[in-house]
Amino acid sequence: MTQVILGQVLNGIIVGTLYGIIALGVTLTFGITGIVNFALGQFMMIGAYAAWHLTDVAHLPYPLSVALAVLIAGLAGFLSDRALFQFTRNNLVNGLLVSIGLISVIESAALLLYTATPKNMDFVLSGSWTLGAITISRMKVVTFAVLLAVIALTWLALANTWLGRATRAYAQNPEAAMLMGVKTEMLQVGVSVYSCALAGIGGALYAGIYSLEPSMGALFILKGVEAAILAGVGNLAGALVGGIILGITESIGALFLPTAFRDAYGLVFLVAILLFRPSGLFGGQK
Amino acid sequence: MSAAWLLLPLYLLPLVSHSEVLLTILIFTYILGILAIGFNIVFGYAGQLTMFHGAAFGIGGYATFLMLSKFGISFWLAMLPMFAVILLLSMMVGWVCFKFRLREFYFAVVTLAFAELIRLVVLNWNDVTNGTLGLLVLDKPTIWWPGRGVVKIDGTVPWYLLTLTALCAVTIVSQLIVRSWIGRNFAAIRLNEELAQTLGINTFRYKMLAFTLSNLFAALAGALFGFYSNYIEPAQLSITQSLDAIAMVLLGGMGSILGPVVGAFLLTGLPHVIEFSAELRAATYGAILILVILLMPRGVVGLFLRWRHVS
Amino acid sequence: MFLKVDALSKRFGGLVAVSAVSLHIEEGEIVGILGPNGSGKTTLLNLLAGLLAPSSGAILWQGRDISGTKPDLIAALGIVKTFQNPQLFAELSVLEHVMIAGHLALKRLLGFARSKTIFAPKPARQELEARASRVLRLCRLSQEAHRPAAELSYGEEKMLGVAMAMMCEPKLLLLDEPASGLGQAEIGNLGAVLRDLREHGTTLCIIDHKVAFLAEFAHRLIALQNGSKIADGTAQEVLGNPSVITAYLGRQHAGA
Repeated sequence: MTQVILGQVLNGIIVGTLYGIIALGVTLTFGITGIVNFALGQFMMIGAYAAWHLTDVAHLPYPLSVALAVLIAGLAGFLSDRALFQFTRNNLVNGLLVSIGLISVIESAALLLYTATPKNMDFVLSGSWTLGAITISRMKVVTFAVLLAVIALTWLALANTWLGRATRAYAQNPEAAMLMGVKTEMLQVGVSVYSCALAGIGGALYAGIYSLEPSMGALFILKGVEAAILAGVGNLAGALVGGIILGITESIGALFLPTAFRDAYGLVFLVAILLFRPSGLFGGQK
Repeated sequence: MSAAWLLLPLYLLPLVSHSEVLLTILIFTYILGILAIGFNIVFGYAGQLTMFHGAAFGIGGYATFLMLSKFGISFWLAMLPMFAVILLLSMMVGWVCFKFRLREFYFAVVTLAFAELIRLVVLNWNDVTNGTLGLLVLDKPTIWWPGRGVVKIDGTVPWYLLTLTALCAVTIVSQLIVRSWIGRNFAAIRLNEELAQTLGINTFRYKMLAFTLSNLFAALAGALFGFYSNYIEPAQLSITQSLDAIAMVLLGGMGSILGPVVGAFLLTGLPHVIEFSAELRAATYGAILILVILLMPRGVVGLFLRWRHVS
Repeated sequence: MFLKVDALSKRFGGLVAVSAVSLHIEEGEIVGILGPNGSGKTTLLNLLAGLLAPSSGAILWQGRDISGTKPDLIAALGIVKTFQNPQLFAELSVLEHVMIAGHLALKRLLGFARSKTIFAPKPARQELEARASRVLRLCRLSQEAHRPAAELSYGEEKMLGVAMAMMCEPKLLLLDEPASGLGQAEIGNLGAVLRDLREHGTTLCIIDHKVAFLAEFAHRLIALQNGSKIADGTAQEVLGNPSVITAYLGRQHAGA
């Protein structure tokens, strides 16, 4: 029994890392541009489909596809920022509604291009590792490692580079940052694009493990937002942890309670957090 | 009220036009207009962005039909317990949200979470709701008509008249509220909640009122929708339903009586004017939403009013 | 005792904004509060009005403990506050502002019947409108009644804040720097309004930097510095107090 639980926990951690990278994008976007970009799930989907297409249709090596997919997602992010989100800075309601409109547009495009039939990537990295009685696929471990590395690098960059410090300064006090010479508009565009790129890499790696459908975006953004709120919106380090907690809660929950309500656990947890600890488990900016 | 002039021609329309398509579009316009008016009250006037009205819409259909079939009562009687359910839910969800002083975004997220939970329950409670398959509704509302006794509302023209009347009633009620001191307090809360509080306005109570009203209207619309389209399904409870209503209100314009209804008309009529595949339709909705937010914040009616120099 | 404040403190994380302040205000008094920027004056008023909850200490109003009560309840109990930076309802006209502010008055006029009516009955409505006219006239805003409040000048916005507060029929009116940013004529007008309020028995508590203005009106002055009370007495006593002079070095004769 413990092995089953442990197996589920591990799965939850992997899925949670995916939630976490979206949550990181959500938190970054909120902190710097003042909106929640609900379309981040769609950029994840763009990354996923791009990776699938480049690997299975264009027959490029998988790592290259991933890299290109990230670029594509980032580019898409840049375009939507220039066309749409630059007009909704710090306007939460408008940004929310525009991003929701964007969701429909992108998802429809995916449906037209790829149809709703789930796509599966031919095995990228086959085989699994065994630890005791627990087996876990290699691809999942690699995904976890890569995402963890990306998040860690982001965090390090924010802490140690000039750009990172400027970003944090801006998040705390936009006017002061501006007065100190931080090019705020460029910063906002940069963060906006970076969040989409993060979602893109999440999607590209997701494509190596699970099957793809155009509707995946909606699911992940909801989980990403939940994870971000759970940790405390604005808390960058917490985003990953929040995602993992959410992932584990869902996996364990699915063991003991009806699977149909899998998504419900996150929601209930979320509502509870918002009511009793609105600044999140680890506290974030308000 | 210039809107009143439209009433007579609208009521007489079935005599003049025999176009099934036009009348059907208008029926859906009136039904969804009720939903949109409700959302306009809680968001356009009181400034609270909620995602719960989609759930209320769906519950309106499910609860009314279930009451009717389990207890053998008429459509109208079945609506009473349905309204009671909506009242209870609104008070519970509203209490949770407003007591904990959830602001804007978190309020939207929590109402969304509750709405999704309700949808999951309905989706999985197969014994009662038949899950994804939905419920077939063959019953019809009945009214008493002088000279003919009890008449079933069946067929395009009777439904047209019924839904138009329902819309009028809802419009009148909403206007009465919005133009009274209650409406003034809603506006105060939307524009500067802290100032409203220091002037003695119990913002919690008024936010609850606005939220509950929007859900009651949504439920009425849902009941009419389910019985007219003869089908009730979980999709009617979804976030998409909520978003449709939001798009209608934004497109039509939040600051006017007719705005939400105009928005409902445009979004309902659009698929008939341009033949769309389902995917393109969703994309168009999305594009319209984006365009409205960025370019037409006051909606179609707002543009029109400004053009005529009416403030 | 009308208003009694007992060792009231407010901490924001590590910052102590108000530190164990005790004071009392008698009915009918006009009390002025002065102190340099950052001395905790506005925080104190926000605590009294219920916009902030105290970290420790108590606020007693007519014998009743109101510490931590919500602002709308405090307003209903008779304490109303104006804002240092005028707070408005963007889009709405001056008259609409004042009518919204008439909410409490309307409640009192209608009593329990209020919950049954959507439209207030005619006599109540007319009474409310009469009061609104009177208040606007006093604040010299009658001409602007139908203008959007966003178009008002700074001084007019401040007077609108006072007008809205007056509509609430406060027993204790807390004014946060009502005279700052006003020109001479406007200050004279403000003085007339304050005199009218005093005649109607409203107790006033005014924060301001214009010491001369305060000294002219107030029965009593309270001086704050760094969140603590450093003096409490008549204008003469307080302004002659050495620690007050030190806190205000160079501003003993602060004018306009």
